[in-house]
Amino acid sequence: MSATTVEIAGTAVAADRPNRLARVARLPAGVLVGGTIVLLLVLVALLAPVLAPHSATSGSISERLWDVYTIGHPLGTDGQGRDILSRLMWGARPTLIAGVVPVLIGALIGTSLGLLAGLSRRGVRSLVMRTLDVIYAFPAILLAIAIGAALGPGIKNAIVSLSIVLIAPIARVAEGEVLRLRDADFMEAARASGARWSTIAIRQVLPNIAPALLVYCTSLVGLAIVYAAGLSFLGLGVTPPHPDWGSMLNDLRQNIYERPLLSLVPAVAIFIASIGFNVLGDGLRKLFDVRETEVAA
Amino acid sequence: MSTARATLNRTSVEDIITRAGDHEHVLTVEDLTVAFTRRRRQITAVRGVDLTLTAGRTLVLLGESGSGKSVTARAILRLYGRSATIGGSVRLGDTELTTLDESWMRGIRGGAIGMVPQDPSGSLDPLRRVGAQIVEVLQRHDVEQDERRGRAYAGGLLERVGIHDPGRVLDAFPFELSGGMRQRVAIAIAIACRPRVLIADEPTTALDVTVQAQVLALFTELQRELDMALLLVTHDVGVARIVGDDVAVMYAGRLVETGSVDEVLARPAHPYTAGLLDALPLPGIPRGELLAIPGRPPGPDELVSDHACAFAPRCRFAQPSCTRHRPPLVEVRPGRLAACDVVGGEVPRVAPATRGATARTEAVA
Amino acid sequence: MTSFLTRRLLLAIPILIGVSIVVFITIKLIPGDPVAALLGPNATPQARADLVARMGLNKPIPLQYVDWIWAVLHGNLGTSISLQQSVGSLVLKAFGNTLILLVASLFLATLGGVVLGTIVALRPRSVLGRIVSSTSLGAISIPQYTVALLLLLFAVETGALPTGGMHGTGDGSFGDLLAHLVLPAIAAALTPMGIVARMFAVALSDVLAQEFVESMRARGLSQAAIVRHAMHNALPSLLTITGLQVGYLLGGVLFVETIFAWPGIGQQVYSAISSRDMPLIQAGVLISAVVLVLVNVVVDTVHALVDPRVRA
Repeated sequence: MSATTVEIAGTAVAADRPNRLARVARLPAGVLVGGTIVLLLVLVALLAPVLAPHSATSGSISERLWDVYTIGHPLGTDGQGRDILSRLMWGARPTLIAGVVPVLIGALIGTSLGLLAGLSRRGVRSLVMRTLDVIYAFPAILLAIAIGAALGPGIKNAIVSLSIVLIAPIARVAEGEVLRLRDADFMEAARASGARWSTIAIRQVLPNIAPALLVYCTSLVGLAIVYAAGLSFLGLGVTPPHPDWGSMLNDLRQNIYERPLLSLVPAVAIFIASIGFNVLGDGLRKLFDVRETEVAA
Repeated sequence: MSTARATLNRTSVEDIITRAGDHEHVLTVEDLTVAFTRRRRQITAVRGVDLTLTAGRTLVLLGESGSGKSVTARAILRLYGRSATIGGSVRLGDTELTTLDESWMRGIRGGAIGMVPQDPSGSLDPLRRVGAQIVEVLQRHDVEQDERRGRAYAGGLLERVGIHDPGRVLDAFPFELSGGMRQRVAIAIAIACRPRVLIADEPTTALDVTVQAQVLALFTELQRELDMALLLVTHDVGVARIVGDDVAVMYAGRLVETGSVDEVLARPAHPYTAGLLDALPLPGIPRGELLAIPGRPPGPDELVSDHACAFAPRCRFAQPSCTRHRPPLVEVRPGRLAACDVVGGEVPRVAPATRGATARTEAVA
Repeated sequence: MTSFLTRRLLLAIPILIGVSIVVFITIKLIPGDPVAALLGPNATPQARADLVARMGLNKPIPLQYVDWIWAVLHGNLGTSISLQQSVGSLVLKAFGNTLILLVASLFLATLGGVVLGTIVALRPRSVLGRIVSSTSLGAISIPQYTVALLLLLFAVETGALPTGGMHGTGDGSFGDLLAHLVLPAIAAALTPMGIVARMFAVALSDVLAQEFVESMRARGLSQAAIVRHAMHNALPSLLTITGLQVGYLLGGVLFVETIFAWPGIGQQVYSAISSRDMPLIQAGVLISAVVLVLVNVVVDTVHALVDPRVRA
């Protein structure tokens, strides 16, 4: 490029160098809003022992079913007189763990399978993908319930069953992204240079499919939280008396005619957690300019 | 919309089209500017273009991709809608199109002005049979409302664009046709309402070389038959030479040279035109030794100064003054306009015989 | 067309076999000794051996699978532990009720999603478009059980609509059924509606960005006609999207049926979970998965009907 062109285009380039604050402000609103919600949730979960005003597992029967806005119990008490705010704070831990960990496990296994399928010969690819199609043929939550019910209640079993369910959709997204890259020039070059399969997968492909996977998995956490809470709603998650948003929801809904507002508390909490991750995922999608996929879980 | 108003529109549009036929210069473009807003920044793609289209003649709009030639063609039909700001004037006969009511403008599109798109594989609805797509346009412009007669009319159109088995093509889906066939169908639709003006945007670029010549011949033939004015947008000097009567060369959103094709291509008056000609392969010169224009045209996001010659950074003849003021488009010879005040009306050419040698020396240097 | 359908059905067979294997595995996943669980702690070794032989548990696992799938294909899905009835007939009866809820909510989700998605695709930067776009993101994030609970509260507070069940005390007329159906159907439909809206918006704007849309404008076609053609071209994507929602709904109705006491498979599975009635759970899951596989066959077939390129 000659000096004159630089001069002509120069004004635009110089104006485009922002300071750090301006760069944060230029992040998509979703990243900021969603990120804040997620950060707050994590803080509450971590600081539950400090923040929670009462015990989460015991209460006095004489204080049962106090409504929201009660002094001392801003979110009321449940059927056993336990403080709902405290249970909500402690319950954030298993709810977040059961939402995030399965996505991490699913991402690890699913991405590996997607890479394997996307980079392999046709035979291997269809073997992997058709096998995953079987998992995919089930309504996700129902398969998680079948596995969870067989294994029995408990957060570990809930994580196992959700992980199995999430592998298939993540693998599909990963494989789709790999296939889009397969014919790119740098891939040809890597293959021509005689690089090993695993080297290509990790050095060339993974960095390129990472943004799409990150976006997808972030939104998937939003869904996984709903599923995890759903499992404990059905009694397949955390075992009582330990709190978990899903089981709190199922508890409090028994008293819906007496204290309608109480049952909304955990419901709203699950909604906020879910929308936090969904908004964050949507913001990341805009940040990385990733297309919306048609792969659902 | 009430039938009464629809009828009113139609007669008015017909009126406009009829009156346009009385003018020798069917379509006049004056000082056309087209600007887009992208990420809160104004990007001006076309700045001050003048064109005159005459019935029965072909004007070739020549330039590299990004020169604004396609934008000009689309802006004439106001295809950008509200996403572009259009300035200047576009007149069909004596009717101003830039301010015409949108519902009337729809009558002009495909009625008075036909358009042949660049990529024939993308220009047709992939899920509908070719016949239905032609009939739809015939009904829209009230050429033929009846389905059966419309189909017969469509068959006639297909024959006219050189399709020998119109029956089969009418019943075919676009994906069942070859690229050349699809382009013929697109041309048939464009001429369905006997337009006064036909705009063709790189109509042969996506086609095989053998088909290109046939399609170009078809354009010439149809133009003579229907006495249309043809605006042909292309980057290909060869295409300009075959079909063009007049040529307008665009660079960075402006006209840099206009005149008759024979004159301009024989004695270019702007270094850019000369550069395009030098980049043409000639018999006897190996492909690798063509004189390509160094550098690249400014991209859509780059700012182009209004007070400098946009071509100067790539120009062999550039003087310091070229970056300080912009040479206006002025008459350099009768019927010839050019926007360069360095070369003085004619670019000194490197003789074809010595071109190979010069290219080699430049490569070494 | 018939050959397409045959091919597609043949492709579904390995998936169905896989599905049955997975369900069979979940039976085998149950920790502990099923025989001990059935006989109690004081069983004699002879009684144990008899039951093991009767249940075929002494055979190798693949043979056990063959026995099981043979029984399933003959409609014998086992006996419900808690209800002591044939699981097959229980599930079949409940499935009809689930189907009513499923079809109603799928209809709502698709209709609403298409309308909202079209608004976003046609006017992405308008105020309305932005509102619809963020509302649908919100809808996606609301768990179906939360919506169900909210609607239940609404019904409890206003008394406008029945709060549970499928029929009132009355005649079992269609109007009565409809009144009972409204809230569960909305509760199940809201989340999928958001998903359809977002995905359809993407699909439709992809179509609108295609060159033939501009070509149609250049031919003078009206905006309405162009949108009509664009919708037609977005139909294959819509089919795929809607097919995905069937899977989502088959899972979601579990919670909705539970909360609204809708006597379908979901409610059955819910009570089966609390009584650890595995045969009933597995039957519910199996039938849902089979339905989903068949729905995908239908989706692909309709897709082929719409798009001549797929047919060829």
